[in-house]
Amino acid sequence: MKIRTSLYLMKEAFVSLKRNALMSFASISTVAVSLLVLGAFGILGLNMGYMVSALESKVEVTAYMQDSVEGDALTQAEADIRAVSGVSEVTFVTKTEALSRFRERLGDQASMLEALDDQNPLPNAFEIKVDNPELVKPTAQAIEQMAGVETVKYGSEIVDQLFQMTKILRILGLVLLGFLVFATLFIISNTIRLTVFARRKEIGIMKYVGATNAFIRLPFLMEGMILGSVGGGVAAVALYYAYSALLYEVHQVLAFLYLVPLHPFIYIIGGALVGIGMLIGAIGSAISLSRYMDV
Amino acid sequence: MITLSNVSKTYSTGAVAMDDISLSIDKGEFVFIVGPSGAGKSTLMKMLLLEESPDKGDLIVNGHDLRELPKKKIPYLRRSMGVIFQDYRLLPDKTVYENVAFAMRIVEASRREMKQNIEKVLGLVGLKHKAKSFPAQLSGGEQQRVAIARAIVNNPVIVIADEPTGNLDPENSWEIMNIFEEINKSGTTIVMATHDKTIVDRMRRRVIALEKGKIIRDEAKGGYGDED
Repeated sequence: MKIRTSLYLMKEAFVSLKRNALMSFASISTVAVSLLVLGAFGILGLNMGYMVSALESKVEVTAYMQDSVEGDALTQAEADIRAVSGVSEVTFVTKTEALSRFRERLGDQASMLEALDDQNPLPNAFEIKVDNPELVKPTAQAIEQMAGVETVKYGSEIVDQLFQMTKILRILGLVLLGFLVFATLFIISNTIRLTVFARRKEIGIMKYVGATNAFIRLPFLMEGMILGSVGGGVAAVALYYAYSALLYEVHQVLAFLYLVPLHPFIYIIGGALVGIGMLIGAIGSAISLSRYMDV
Repeated sequence: MITLSNVSKTYSTGAVAMDDISLSIDKGEFVFIVGPSGAGKSTLMKMLLLEESPDKGDLIVNGHDLRELPKKKIPYLRRSMGVIFQDYRLLPDKTVYENVAFAMRIVEASRREMKQNIEKVLGLVGLKHKAKSFPAQLSGGEQQRVAIARAIVNNPVIVIADEPTGNLDPENSWEIMNIFEEINKSGTTIVMATHDKTIVDRMRRRVIALEKGKIIRDEAKGGYGDED
């Protein structure tokens, strides 16, 4: 197909969009709302993932030793821990140190500790830093197997909970995605059906003068793609402003939350939305053309 | 040019539209198809336009056997035909020029070729001065002339006209018929379905009369009918 022909068909698509302005507006809005929700979910999910990995990288593994391990055995244990692959730093915290830290943390309520009667229930411990956040779990598990180690903690609860939430979010997102895609497909194919109907005379004439199916269908396909990508674009712009506002607020109030920085993240999301919109538009009009256009 | 051999067509409603029809139309002929409503005229026209296919029998158009022609090739065969309808079928939001250009855009003609051909056919139908008008600003006769211009702009070898004068007064009808004569003179085959007795009687061309799906008369220089 010649470029001039493509340009002509493109122009025809725009003319048709303008002619059915109300319907075009309705479908662009539907696409925009659907993709906005989709994009918001995407941003939420990606931020959760980001938070998980940020927290993981901060996680320290603490190995609590059995009270029976003393003296040389402790030194040996420290050496063994150092030998575990991925371990970068090991600090020994004695029972006494642990207790004084605890006392500090309790502050005003330190008097509670008097109930202990000079006994120290806290174990000796090693604080271990790991090279790579992904190694936290396997390292912790390896150390837990060692002789003399009572328990190993690595803040797994928070990380696991976040993981769990991300998983739920992902499932919820997929279900929602299904519904939204369905709704969007429906409205776009319906819009295209109306334009096919409005232009049936033209289609008939095209047929009689020998237009190929591709030639007849292309403007409608383009129309659907324009509807979809404009809807995606509207959603992308809205998300850009919403997300930058959110980042600003969060930074003001909850500075400790790790959120994905605006650039280039939001451009990728925006681009994806426009792309998805265009794809949905193309599929929507293809559905309509195969059902309502007999050529 | 066009050959039908033992063509039959029955619609799913049970109506027999064509019953064992054989006919042959040569290049450069001018043929009227006449007959009462329901005689099978429109089915024959639709078949020539490749819209309907025979249930039985062979249909050969411009050297292509319809039975062997893949569906995808049909548009290309249609490009060798020009079509004119009773209701003109112009695009209301396009100018006269654009309406004619529409047919050329589909065959992806070059800009120069387009300008040349359109000027030529608009000259032939006498509407050069109305190139920028919209269909609503034209009389019925003028609109039909635009439709003719569109039908012949791609230099078809066959022109198929379905009741082209059905909506026109006698004066405009004759103007249209003169244009068809002109087109025919350059060697283009013309097949025209019509109810217009005066035209058929005065033109003295080949007449094929259909009734109840059969050919009842095929005369080289016939009139509309002897029954009245």
